[in-house]
Amino acid sequence: MTDEVILRVKDLRTYFSTDEGIVKAVDGVSFELRKGETLGIVGESGSGKSVTNLSIINMIPSPPGKIAGGEILFMGEDLLKMPAKDIRRIRGNKISMIFQDPMTSLNPFLRISSQMTETIVLHQGLDKQAAKAKAIEMLRLAGIPAPEKRIDQYPHQFSGGMRQRVMIAMSLSCNPEILIADEPTSALDVTIQAQILDLMKDLTARLGTAVILITHSLGVVAGMCDTLCVMYAGRVVERGATEALFAAPMHPYTQGLIKSVPRLDVAATGERLSSIRGQPPNVIDLPDCCPFYPRCDKAMEVCRRKYPPSVDFGASGGPVAKGHTASCWLYSEAK
Amino acid sequence: MKADKAERVDAQVNEFDQAMKPVSLWADAWRRLKKNKMAFAGLYIVTFYIVVSMLAPILPIYSYEDQVIAHTNLPPSLRPAGEVMIETRVAYMRKVLKAEARSSFNEKEEAEIAAMKADVAVNPDHKRVYVLGTDNLGRDMLSRTLYGGRISIMIGLVGTITATLVGILLGSIAGYAGGRVDNFIMRFVDILYGLPYMLIVIIMMAVFGKNILNLFVAIALVSWLTLARVVRGQVISLKNAEFVEAARSMGASPARIVFRHLTPNTLGVIVVFATLLVPDFIMSESFLSFLGLGVSAPLASWGSLVSEGANTMELYPWQLLVPAIAMTLFLFAMNFLGDGLRDALDPQSKNRL
Repeated sequence: MTDEVILRVKDLRTYFSTDEGIVKAVDGVSFELRKGETLGIVGESGSGKSVTNLSIINMIPSPPGKIAGGEILFMGEDLLKMPAKDIRRIRGNKISMIFQDPMTSLNPFLRISSQMTETIVLHQGLDKQAAKAKAIEMLRLAGIPAPEKRIDQYPHQFSGGMRQRVMIAMSLSCNPEILIADEPTSALDVTIQAQILDLMKDLTARLGTAVILITHSLGVVAGMCDTLCVMYAGRVVERGATEALFAAPMHPYTQGLIKSVPRLDVAATGERLSSIRGQPPNVIDLPDCCPFYPRCDKAMEVCRRKYPPSVDFGASGGPVAKGHTASCWLYSEAK
Repeated sequence: MKADKAERVDAQVNEFDQAMKPVSLWADAWRRLKKNKMAFAGLYIVTFYIVVSMLAPILPIYSYEDQVIAHTNLPPSLRPAGEVMIETRVAYMRKVLKAEARSSFNEKEEAEIAAMKADVAVNPDHKRVYVLGTDNLGRDMLSRTLYGGRISIMIGLVGTITATLVGILLGSIAGYAGGRVDNFIMRFVDILYGLPYMLIVIIMMAVFGKNILNLFVAIALVSWLTLARVVRGQVISLKNAEFVEAARSMGASPARIVFRHLTPNTLGVIVVFATLLVPDFIMSESFLSFLGLGVSAPLASWGSLVSEGANTMELYPWQLLVPAIAMTLFLFAMNFLGDGLRDALDPQSKNRL
């Protein structure tokens, strides 16, 4: 991990117009990704994690979706202003994605070889033979036994974990700068999850790929990520180095999330596992308030009036706290 | 030893070194189709028809347009035409005899029989054998049915191929693009749907003249509508599938996604639909020919043969039955094949058979 920032998302806003009103799925998200860094994005369903990442490669279904504002700077270029043709050259080549369900993300009618070489031929300009050799090499790296034989098979001849390995091999085959993994292990059974995560960690470290890992699971991010973004109702509520965030969560939502994970290292006291009460809000026509206040134990009067500014804890804390920010009125003087 | 090695290279091996075959979805469907006896019989019959139609010009049959005036309306028989001709004529005369309550032929009738016998003895034409009888102009029904089938099947296939190509193209564009493009194409389809199909074809045939090319054009023009709708529906339901999203995230262009990822996935439905479309075209061509708007003499199609046969069906039933049975058999076979393909390609029925 170096300090070179390859992706800078600034104040990204992605809205969906529906019959009920405008859904502000992503409302002012900013973060940075350094070369080789692994960034985790956690949050509940509907908090805007996936939409943020689809926005990055400009794949929001439009209509009804629309990127209403913000900038996405990839190596200094704004992806949002790029014509469709150029962005296709970035997708799969510089930024690639792994999807949640490996059972449906491979085309059932095409052999693995044609799906993999398709991408390699398109982006790297290799001929079919060379592309196939490269694909076999990638499958071997992804831990698929006898790849030169398996490559001619169809997706339904692979198990879920194997398919996810194929997806990983495919998405890394053009040596991308960034790999976006949208809940890559949610659809797999637990015995495979750890293997897949290890594989991703190992391969991306070897290839120097930066990873954006979207997940529900705090356990996954704790093991994988360098930095963490906690999203709630379309906004990043807390951001910081993984260690700092787990050691000293600042935002009440992050605290609630961490508390609601069962822990083995704390002796069982027979207490019930704590949970965050209530439901996440509907993001249609949300007033200018902290979206978390109805569920927050520490809510104050100001919380229902105005969205809190982001507070940087980097100055007060040690070196791990560098860049640790949270958006909460608890820490803000400007009430 | 060498063969053994080659075999091992071919065989697919899984993690446990157990041999695996790369089974494509098509191979799988083929396996299931083979288990369906009716469908397979249909496949045989259809193949037989197509082969025979293609080979018609080199088969040892009489020309479909040869008229032998003496041999009009002969019934099916394996004996030479001369014998059959005299026999039918004599049988007819006996009938007259009975009706007129006479006991023997008169001079004129005797003379006619003698003349026929003399002619049969010298004229080689009378050695012809009409296995399926002749029509009212003395043409061989077997040959006419074969050539009629040639045209009918050709119309069925040409119609289906055009319908499939145009349907896939417009349907998948409409389905994938959505929005205004979709609206435009589908409203155009709706308009064509709204117009009475037969009327358009009849008008076209009347305006541009009765020839076989116009018949093709007329049928093809209105044939792709349903298929375009079917393909569009399929594409819409597939375009949000994750593998399409994955392909997009890999940088595939829209054209590539539509024609490489989406259309192959709809092919199962299209194949089934197309097989069921062939009988449809043959039926509509028959209908047109029956109305006198189809192919014109001396060419024949099953429809025109049935139409001609229907005029004389009380006296010479074989003129109706031969083409009607030939056509029905083909349509049955085609429908069974279509049904079988639907079952074979339907993933729902995958574990049933």
